[in-house]
Amino acid sequence: MKFLMLILKNLRRNILRSALTSAGVMVLVFVITLIWSILGFLDTVTSEKTSNFKGIVTEKWSIPSQMPFSYADTLENGAAREDTDIKPMDSMTWQFFIGTTEKGKGFSLKTFVFAFCMEPKKLLTMMDELDSLAPSPKAELEKAVEAMEQNRQGIIIGQKRLAALEKRVGDRIKIFGVNYRDLELECEIVGTFPLGRYDNNSCINRDYLNASLDAYKASQGKPHPLANKTMNLVWVKVPDRDSFAQVSNQIDNSPMFTTPPVKIETASSGVANFLAAYKDLLTILRWALAPSIIATLAVVISNAISISVRERRKEMAVLKVLGFQPNQIMFLVLGEAILLGVVAGSISSIGTYFLVNRVMGGIPFPIAFFSSFPVLDGALWWGAAIGFATSFAGSILPALSTRSIKVVDVFSKVA
Amino acid sequence: MTDQPIVRVLNVSRYFKRGTERVNVLNRLDLDVPEGQFLALMGPSGSGKTTLLNLIAGLDTPSEGEIWVGDRCVSKMNEAQLARWRNAHVGFVFQFYHLLPVLSAYENVELPLLLLPLTARKRREQVMTALELVGLKDRNSHLPSQLSGGQQQRVGIARAIVTDPTLIVADEPTGDLDAKSAHEILDLLNVLQRALNKTILMVTHDLRAARRADRIQHLDKGRLVDQPDEELYEAG
Repeated sequence: MKFLMLILKNLRRNILRSALTSAGVMVLVFVITLIWSILGFLDTVTSEKTSNFKGIVTEKWSIPSQMPFSYADTLENGAAREDTDIKPMDSMTWQFFIGTTEKGKGFSLKTFVFAFCMEPKKLLTMMDELDSLAPSPKAELEKAVEAMEQNRQGIIIGQKRLAALEKRVGDRIKIFGVNYRDLELECEIVGTFPLGRYDNNSCINRDYLNASLDAYKASQGKPHPLANKTMNLVWVKVPDRDSFAQVSNQIDNSPMFTTPPVKIETASSGVANFLAAYKDLLTILRWALAPSIIATLAVVISNAISISVRERRKEMAVLKVLGFQPNQIMFLVLGEAILLGVVAGSISSIGTYFLVNRVMGGIPFPIAFFSSFPVLDGALWWGAAIGFATSFAGSILPALSTRSIKVVDVFSKVA
Repeated sequence: MTDQPIVRVLNVSRYFKRGTERVNVLNRLDLDVPEGQFLALMGPSGSGKTTLLNLIAGLDTPSEGEIWVGDRCVSKMNEAQLARWRNAHVGFVFQFYHLLPVLSAYENVELPLLLLPLTARKRREQVMTALELVGLKDRNSHLPSQLSGGQQQRVGIARAIVTDPTLIVADEPTGDLDAKSAHEILDLLNVLQRALNKTILMVTHDLRAARRADRIQHLDKGRLVDQPDEELYEAG
């Protein structure tokens, strides 16, 4: 504590240099926080859970997966046929509807709509993150889900998408199908998703899409080209790995799914397969960019501390004359670097956490199904840890060099 | 002042290697300094004054011989022991003051006390006493840059005496000061010697400064000499 004053005064010695070094640390910790948050989030969604396993059923040999809706009931029951077969705890079907709000004016970010067509109530039990909301946003979503169940033309839209469409809750929109050509859905906006993962997504009641396909057949005299290929994914939730293996076995051995055949994989491996297209980008982020930034951070601190030590050789010699031990002088130098690194790193990562999560609603980095990423809770201590580690690494050599400062050399003069 | 020597330099040599050449700075030198004495070391440039001062203050170790201060053999101590010993027993006054520019006068004087197991209150008492002794109690919050050269040197002296050391070593303490300030600093050293019975070793080129000491010892080519050759000082 007695030396803290000395450390703080030394940091104030050259305020511009301390401020610039702090700014460098903050910028680099900011970038690292964003990168680690994206990678950490993807690691979480691609890591196997030990309980509440989710499986994804897709078409076996074709991408994109397009299954007939007639598979839905059987798959949602895990293709259980015998009394001893296991049925999933919960399930949902996904039909992707991609559309635009302005017919004939092209496809733009301002008019684009991407919707999961599904049973509305499954939003609350099967959708990642939406199944574990805080009480207030959960109540909002429940209200919207209830509205969708009462009005099958209801649509829930992510907040950023809603803003881009320049619409509000209560407005009606017409969505012209892009993948479902010649299909028009007229929806009423009944609510929004909480800020975060689903900011750019929407949800439409699957009954409305299926009814629209039926109406298309009635009006056109022939089924829609995608009528028999409308179901893209089926999600099933099972209690543990063993149950997943049995459900997987039931589906694989079921005679129901021949044209087309289907496969089931864990949600994490499904997402991981989806992310395979981004493998190189993620590898560069993880193994090249992040380590380079950390190394740069250490060099920035090392440079500042080296200059500072060189400038203060005489002062350090004076401290030795006054009785300071070499280790105490070394710790003073380390203390300056670490204090600067930890404080600047903490401010940066904690600031990033609140800015991105509370103000921006996530890191806008559209990849796979994810339009934005939250800054992970770990960021609250990452900044301090990165600041500590890099400032220690950057300052240890200059600090060690102070141990060998010889008073008689520093004050040497011919006597 | 007593006749009992507090500093004993016994057959001390100090040489340095410069490539393959050996440079002798001090040559089998003996010196006793009685407790409470004010000794001025004079000599031409290169005579070994500062080297001798550094050896006695424990900033350097002799190549040969022994140095005793009180009952401690300084020349046998390791670096950590020397640092602790210096902190408690030696006050050092530099020619160019060497105050830390980011610290106030008070904080500069407090520096040696940070290493001792003292409460903040006790430290404050000692710092204010030292600053009062040098007449700068009312300037304790000033930074070195806000003080004159003479005032900075007085802060340097306060820093040297704040731990109540046995020995004060001063390396040309008036070398960077005008005549009036130099006079005040020498007065102060005299007060410390007489009122507090401090033993003072001062290196100086200035004969007028040296005459304020109890004893003047001349060095030439690493040896003590009784009568200086006047020409020796012309170069210095």
